[in-house]
Amino acid sequence: MLGVTTALRAAMPSGAAAGSIGHAAPDFALPAALGSNVRLSEYRGQPVVLSFWSSRCSLCARQLATLDRYYGTYRSSGLIVLAVSVDDDAQHAQDYAHAHVTAFPLLLDPAKTVGRAYGIERLPTTVLIDRGGVVRFLHSDDGAGDESYVAQIRALLDDKFGGL
Amino acid sequence: MNDTRSLPMPMKPASRSSRLAAALIVALAAGLVAPLWAADAPPPAAAGASAAAATAPGSPPATGEGSATRSLDEQIQDLKKDVVDLNKDLFMLEEELLFPANTQVAVFVSMDVGDFFALDSISLKIDSHEVSNYLYTPREVTALLKGGVQRLYVGNLRSGQHELVALFNGKGPHERAYRRAASVRFEKGVGAKYLELKITDHQRAQQPEFEIKDWE
Repeated sequence: MLGVTTALRAAMPSGAAAGSIGHAAPDFALPAALGSNVRLSEYRGQPVVLSFWSSRCSLCARQLATLDRYYGTYRSSGLIVLAVSVDDDAQHAQDYAHAHVTAFPLLLDPAKTVGRAYGIERLPTTVLIDRGGVVRFLHSDDGAGDESYVAQIRALLDDKFGGL
Repeated sequence: MNDTRSLPMPMKPASRSSRLAAALIVALAAGLVAPLWAADAPPPAAAGASAAAATAPGSPPATGEGSATRSLDEQIQDLKKDVVDLNKDLFMLEEELLFPANTQVAVFVSMDVGDFFALDSISLKIDSHEVSNYLYTPREVTALLKGGVQRLYVGNLRSGQHELVALFNGKGPHERAYRRAASVRFEKGVGAKYLELKITDHQRAQQPEFEIKDWE
């Protein structure tokens, strides 16, 4: 019983973060661990998967690997994946980024400004943003392998106007 | 590099006016608000009736669905234009209210060539208070290099002597991390004050130059 409750709780988006569904995704600009700076609003018109992670979170590593696979599949359809590190020490995130190279940018946010703006309370948390820059789905778990996850990404890709 | 790079972005005060414009569109679409420009025009039903009268027996039939669609499209375009104009007016009104000319200070950024400096971020301090810390993406740098001018900061200051310090971060010659500061003391008078941060290449020294220009 307790296990089921825990699993349900893990799958449910948590309080503050869940409140952002249906609202405009807060804009940000962050430096990438490898490569140039990234600003979210520059991807308006494309669906964005925004994942929050930490180098010390093993679930996050699995999540990033799965997102990397999705990115490889849906990149040509216009999908953008951004992963924001919430490590206190940016060097840890840098080291992780060098050791686990992904096709999408791993961004550094040691001040946790972006994490706070999205109300992130647990890791990994993944936010799915539509073409119009509106938060449509939120996952506070490591369920990136779930079919529902893929269905949601496809729904965002199929929605050509998404809040525009 | 400092750690406080995740931005207090200069908020465009257009958001409120955009919301108003969006609300107006919704209201117009729902027929809750009659557009001002249609005050002396007949209501849609009457317009339909007059259109029917115009195509009364004896007169040739209208070109059909094509012309109706075109007419609707023109109306939509007109409506969109009106909303854009309204949004512009609201934006200007908001600017005037938030930043009156007698206290307004605006800082602009321009960049020339960029062979010796790749801009990464600019941190701005007025009277030792950080007012902006802006991170540049490659697209923004490209826009600046193409001649774009960015309004980095707009705020209010009381009359008198003030000091502006700009800290430029980026990559200098030979791809090395490069950090330079420029400062200016300026007198804020009755009118709006405009300052420009100019990044130029000094060909002879093979170095970038950072200058703050006070637009009198």
